[in-house]
Amino acid sequence: MNSKSLRNGLRSGTIFSVIIIFFFLIGFIITGPALVAKLFGIYVQQGAPPDVSMLAIFLGLLGLWAGIMAAKPVDSDTYFSTGGAGLAAGVLSGLVSGVFGYSFGTLYAAGIDMRNYLSNVSPPSVNYFIFNQAPLVGALILLVLLSLSGLLGGLLAKAMRGERRRAFSSNLRDRWANLKNQPLILKAEKFRWTRYILMGLVLILLAFLPTQIGSYWDYVIGTVGIYVILGLGLNIIVGLAGQLVLGYVAFFAIGAYAVALLNAPRPLDLLVGFWVALLAAIVFSALAGLLVGLPILSLRGDYLAIVTLGLGEIIRILLSSDAMTPFTGGPRGVPNIGGPVIFGLDFSNDIDLLYLILLFVLLAIFISQRIQNSHTGRSWVSIREDETVSKATGVDTFRSKLLALALGAAFAGIGGALFAVRNQFTGPEDHGLMVSINVLALVIVGGMGSIPGVILGSFALKGLPEILRELDNYRLLFFGALLVVMMILRPEGLWPARRQRIEKASPEEVLEPAEKLEAVPKPVDPLPAKGEEKT
Amino acid sequence: MTTMIEASQVSKFFGGLVAVNKVDLVVPEHSIASIIGPNGAGKTTLFNCVSGFYKPERGEIVFKGKRINGLSTNQIADLGIARTYQNIRLFANMTAIENVIVGQTPHLKTTWLDAVFNTRRFGKEEKTAVEESRRLLKYTGLAGLGDNLARNLPYGAQRRLEIARALANKPSLLLLDEPTAGMNPQETAVMTRFIRSLRDELGITIILIEHDMRVVMDISDQISVLDYGVKIAEGKPKEIQANPKVIEAYLGPGAAALSQKYQRQRHASNA
Repeated sequence: MNSKSLRNGLRSGTIFSVIIIFFFLIGFIITGPALVAKLFGIYVQQGAPPDVSMLAIFLGLLGLWAGIMAAKPVDSDTYFSTGGAGLAAGVLSGLVSGVFGYSFGTLYAAGIDMRNYLSNVSPPSVNYFIFNQAPLVGALILLVLLSLSGLLGGLLAKAMRGERRRAFSSNLRDRWANLKNQPLILKAEKFRWTRYILMGLVLILLAFLPTQIGSYWDYVIGTVGIYVILGLGLNIIVGLAGQLVLGYVAFFAIGAYAVALLNAPRPLDLLVGFWVALLAAIVFSALAGLLVGLPILSLRGDYLAIVTLGLGEIIRILLSSDAMTPFTGGPRGVPNIGGPVIFGLDFSNDIDLLYLILLFVLLAIFISQRIQNSHTGRSWVSIREDETVSKATGVDTFRSKLLALALGAAFAGIGGALFAVRNQFTGPEDHGLMVSINVLALVIVGGMGSIPGVILGSFALKGLPEILRELDNYRLLFFGALLVVMMILRPEGLWPARRQRIEKASPEEVLEPAEKLEAVPKPVDPLPAKGEEKT
Repeated sequence: MTTMIEASQVSKFFGGLVAVNKVDLVVPEHSIASIIGPNGAGKTTLFNCVSGFYKPERGEIVFKGKRINGLSTNQIADLGIARTYQNIRLFANMTAIENVIVGQTPHLKTTWLDAVFNTRRFGKEEKTAVEESRRLLKYTGLAGLGDNLARNLPYGAQRRLEIARALANKPSLLLLDEPTAGMNPQETAVMTRFIRSLRDELGITIILIEHDMRVVMDISDQISVLDYGVKIAEGKPKEIQANPKVIEAYLGPGAAALSQKYQRQRHASNA
């Protein structure tokens, strides 16, 4: 064990001390073990501390993690050095949490209620943190537990790094490569119907899904679907054309209000029918995109972001203003928006609307895909890469950007319309800044310019919070932590964009690019000979 | 020989700085014209005026009988002027072949609606664009590298790709800004031959900014020398080499006299 591994251990110990104390201060020291108990299938009453063994497992896992983190590869990578690093991490975090537990325990024993100062440090949680023991005993248990688990983590990390694992993973990689090169799979890849068969399977799944999963999940998936549409639209503007538009909610609001005002009894009582209203929503939002784009699209980067940010807020404030109340319903919004009606049949229940949303999701994916792989899409990407050069190459950048904004706005209009119809209500509060931020976040999290990325991003940002509902108060904390982890592990997004392979060079062409570089088209003879040829 | 491009009395100011001062330039068709001069002489600024990045304050630029100053860069590209850049400016996160396809923009007429409905027109255009790009990659010696991201290509290949992208425009006038910068002598020789073949085989008129005098003297039909934004000399390579003003612009006042002295001495010792 050398000073370097000791330093690694102390660093990791510091981090995990902070984490444990943080968990303690926010009261997670009860929720965490409760989750562990749930994993074992043990029933725990909401908010009540489970058995202390669960706390031991929870802290033990944290200690293990600390040990593994501490056991970074150093020059002399032995069990002795990694174990020492893990032990150091465990001892440090154990000492800190022990001291913490001891002092809080003593205070609690002295009858001081810490909730006056720290609202989440309840007496049961303090007591639970020191294993329902006397403060000193509890602190010692903490120290021993974390030290041991840290040591174990350090040893485990070395074992996991060992030759065996490397062999295992390379073996796995070879197998995967072999599997991919199986004649059957290669043939299937070339066989163009494979794609259609896969798509068909997905379609069948989507067709049966809404009726099977119950209305809560219908609602969640519907929300995800709407955000997929929004994400695909913003993906055109931000991911492909590279124009940072922060007021995307403006187009969403225009779509929602177009459907609402045209097909609700109050305040205008137009009742033109859902399909006409939907068409109007698309047209109006696309037009809004055009009109807004005309003056502002010559701006670049930060300036465009700020102007569009203002646009989003202006629309929201305008909608709730007194002056507009006779036309927009003002702050109270527009209720009782009519749903889709086909041949006199009403299709506005949850399941039908989910089908409608899925239909539009497929349409949006289809359109995005087609445009992205066309010359229009490539012009957008070239604008994102270098606008000046793109223009000098012959791309009419202004028209191109305007088209991107109008198309993106139209997608937002569809999204807004579906959102309003599904809720049968829309109001200014639905169209806050957070909509823009969420959509932008899902495009970035998924991977800029990538269609599968947008879908994954929507699930991660709109679906995952629903799944995490179990964690109630700590939902957003976990969500934030997940995002941080994701950005460390996959900084280019969950599913980064890949450029299409267009040249499809033959293998022999690919194999010898270095030689090709030397090659010159028909080497021309030096000057004198050339002069003779000419005469 | 008809005139490809004619710039007359072009001036460009940056605040109080006169970057280009009343420069005249006439480039006949099918010729290679070089612009040389010390750093900061206004060569690239003149290029930027021709390709539309800057609007010259005074003067006129006429391309194939049409006045082009005041047009935007994409309109100028549509007319058939393509260029490369001193510091390579490719679309870094697009593949090489995509760069070339974007270069063909002035010749692509289908719209996004064609793409959505996958019309026959669209399919045909897409196919010819890809074929043309493949041909250009081969022509510039980049065949087989087309599906690599532009930023992953080696330096020399990036330079060629810039030229391939410019050629995709089917330009009648090509502006090359230091095409051999950063190349070793062998690569430079290859590039020199390549530039000459552009004129001889494709019939493209070329204006070249170049610091490597061997290249300039080897392939230029005409050389213009800029210094402090003013054109101080113009003529055939031989004339420029002997021009005392040019020598002084590069080496400082008095250098021309010195060089003549050395030349006389050499003649004397030879004799």
